[in-house]
Amino acid sequence: MENKELLKQQVTELASRVNGELEESFGVLILKVNAPYIIETLTAAKKFADVPCDFLHDLCGLDLGDHFEVVYQLSSLRGQQTLRVKAMLNREDPVVDSVTRLWQGANYLEREAYDMFGIIFKGHPNLKRIYLWDDFEGYPLRKDYVTEPIEVRNITRTRIEGE
Amino acid sequence: METLNNLLQTLNNLFLIIAEAIRGLFADPHSVWANLTMDVINFIIVVVIVVLAALILILLERKIAGWTSQRTGPNRLGPRGWFQTIADALKLMGKEDVTPAGADKLIFKIAPMIIFCLPMMTLGVIPFGKGMAPLNLDLGIFYFVAISSISTLAFLMAGWGSNNKYSLLGAMRAVAQMVSYEIPLLFSLLGVVMITQSFNLGVIVEAQSRVPFIVLQPLAFVIFIIAGLAELNRAPFDLVEADQEVVAGPFTEYTGLRWGLFFLGEYGNMTAMAALAATVFLGGWQGPVFLPGYVWIFMKIGIVIFFMMWVRWTFPRIRIDHLMHLAWKVLLPLSILNIFLTGLGIYIYRLVMGG
Amino acid sequence: MNMNINDTEELILNMGPQHPSMHGLFRMVVHLQGETVTKIEPKIGYLHRGMEKLAESRTYAQFIPYTDRLDYLASPHNNWAYVQTVEKLMGVVVPERAEYLRVIFGELSRIASHIVMIASTALDMAGWSAWSYGFRDRERILDLYEMTAGSRLTVNIMRIGGISAEPPEEFWPALKAFLDDTPEMLEEYYGIFFGNEITQGRLKNVGILSKELAENLSITGPVLRASGVNYDVRKAEPYSIYDRFDFNVPVRTGCDSYDRTIIRMDEIVESIKIIKQAVHDIPEGPIMAKVPKVIKPPAGEVYHRVENPKGELGFYIVSDGTTKPARVRIRPATFINLQMLPIVALGWKIQDVVAIFATLDAVLGEVDK
Repeated sequence: MENKELLKQQVTELASRVNGELEESFGVLILKVNAPYIIETLTAAKKFADVPCDFLHDLCGLDLGDHFEVVYQLSSLRGQQTLRVKAMLNREDPVVDSVTRLWQGANYLEREAYDMFGIIFKGHPNLKRIYLWDDFEGYPLRKDYVTEPIEVRNITRTRIEGE
Repeated sequence: METLNNLLQTLNNLFLIIAEAIRGLFADPHSVWANLTMDVINFIIVVVIVVLAALILILLERKIAGWTSQRTGPNRLGPRGWFQTIADALKLMGKEDVTPAGADKLIFKIAPMIIFCLPMMTLGVIPFGKGMAPLNLDLGIFYFVAISSISTLAFLMAGWGSNNKYSLLGAMRAVAQMVSYEIPLLFSLLGVVMITQSFNLGVIVEAQSRVPFIVLQPLAFVIFIIAGLAELNRAPFDLVEADQEVVAGPFTEYTGLRWGLFFLGEYGNMTAMAALAATVFLGGWQGPVFLPGYVWIFMKIGIVIFFMMWVRWTFPRIRIDHLMHLAWKVLLPLSILNIFLTGLGIYIYRLVMGG
Repeated sequence: MNMNINDTEELILNMGPQHPSMHGLFRMVVHLQGETVTKIEPKIGYLHRGMEKLAESRTYAQFIPYTDRLDYLASPHNNWAYVQTVEKLMGVVVPERAEYLRVIFGELSRIASHIVMIASTALDMAGWSAWSYGFRDRERILDLYEMTAGSRLTVNIMRIGGISAEPPEEFWPALKAFLDDTPEMLEEYYGIFFGNEITQGRLKNVGILSKELAENLSITGPVLRASGVNYDVRKAEPYSIYDRFDFNVPVRTGCDSYDRTIIRMDEIVESIKIIKQAVHDIPEGPIMAKVPKVIKPPAGEVYHRVENPKGELGFYIVSDGTTKPARVRIRPATFINLQMLPIVALGWKIQDVVAIFATLDAVLGEVDK
């Protein structure tokens, strides 16, 4: 499709500028970049010539065992282009720039990622927990979060992956 | 034919005959003691009317609600649900009496009592038959409207005394609404007063012997009903106790029988307003002779109350600035126009009829 | 205390989580100057059940009933979104009859959800009769669900590869009777609720959401279409068999609460068209594809979205080749739409805030996951 070719061209060019990797999965282009480059990547994606990816569908965190990722699902209201951008983060120190100045709709989504994973978004106007209560300890969606309450932890065995 | 006429006359004057009989028990039928006894009996009758009206109306409201929503109302207790009110009353009496911690105790407790007393005072001037007004005051309408404005004060007392932000918000809305709508209410009644040249409700009813005033003053009737609904805080003007925004407004902190008193007071006030409408505009106890006068007036009150309930369950609630707009910019000019037209009409009538 | 007689204090009012009007367990802290709103802080999370974490310890098929509980007023759609995502991962082709049945149940749930929204908006403005008319009509749809799936609200009717059960004999006449009664039903709603001057006074020109703000806030669904943007997932990225049906996407340009409410009536009319076409064209055949007993999708990730009645519901599943997913991400439509409330409701009265929130059509199950 015309649209797809144009998009692939522009994304490849962008990837070379920001040291990113390009993949494709089930028909959707995925662009992986390191955390410091994310604002530059997304601003450029929003302004692609002919195929701007200017609508943010979703922003979520992903725990892949050895590193975190923040996944941005982009597409456009006026075209067929879809793009997935992933920012790679360190597990010990997950910090990334907030995209609220590009899309106001990222506000609650980033708060949720912070609440569930502990990812800090620099520049977010109000980074507080959104689903859990304010003095909750721990970040539930991380793979090393233990789900049994503390009274039960010592007397039951922990879950083993793949059971 | 003669006996039928006599029978109807007796039925019509039934209560007057009973009153004469009771007076006759005293040595001097017009002494202080006789008058005092009659007054006490009148008072008891008015109280009974108010309480009965409130009790019946609670059930009737729910049945009419069901009728507009195409379902039956309560139908479990008693034959077709007629004992529902007794169950409600018993439930309310059994509830715990909770007073909020920071509330102003005196004001908190007095407010429902005031609301419940008002209908008893206002219903005293309504003539239920020829010469059958419990209180025959020359100041009839004036007294009625003056007493019913005290309910504004009672709402404010309830809202302030509850020490609750929701209650205060509701009470402020109540004051704004009730004060704004009293003026069109009063002005719409002025047209009738101009025609009859008297405030006395008995005289007003007598003056409608040929044609009821709703025919002569249709605009005033419409304004009266709308302003009356706003005075009573009934939908579509029930922002005061809007369930969805301020949870029950000034009544949030009242439980048990105190809340029951508010409720009964609202129905009593509704009866009083309907009674005034029936007396001033629909002809009071006047009607074809095959039914006694007191039956006619209760039928007319019933029709007005039915209409009020029907409106409640049909319309959504109006917003506060639309409410104020309606009162000051629509109803007030219309009622002044009505007075002007009435005056013009009286002048032309006198000119045409001569003298 | 140095207070001028003309100083007014700001009133901070806490609405919810227990409140007769907040649709579910929703809490708002409202700063008021008199009756005018100066700031709103929504506080959510009272219904958070940790669905995304639960998904990581359930197999793919075990998670389907959990998705029912997201937007419990339109549960077939939630099932549909999840099941289609897994089918995309595995490359399963669903048989024709199952696709048509899915469309019928999906569109019926759209009608039911829109009826609840209109009835609840009426209830928030004390239009009691309009509310009871709406719920009476919704009962017929719930009866149709009960005939097929056994339950009225959380139906759990889709499976990976098809649909769970064949509708019984009495389903088709009942559906036809319902479709025949719909014009009269819609006339009643127009008459008792939309045509009323008080309703129009309360909803028209209240809560303006401009087009640019809506796009910036990632708002989707009828809320976006009432601000003039013609975007519907069923036409933009057709899923299932929607490209075979002939229907329009209603778009209104008023940007106010009245348009956000009445656009759902337009959508009910379109849904009825789709159901009639589906009933006419439905073929015979199996209702379930050949899917292995143990579902182990290949490693990969996919993001799939459907047009929920409330907006765009998306599922992003990352699979690592085992029977349990590595990550299930639910993109909730109303959670993102909720971000417009603090911005749009500023400067209006407290009654308008209740009305604007009602037109958002928030279901807290979806907001809180």
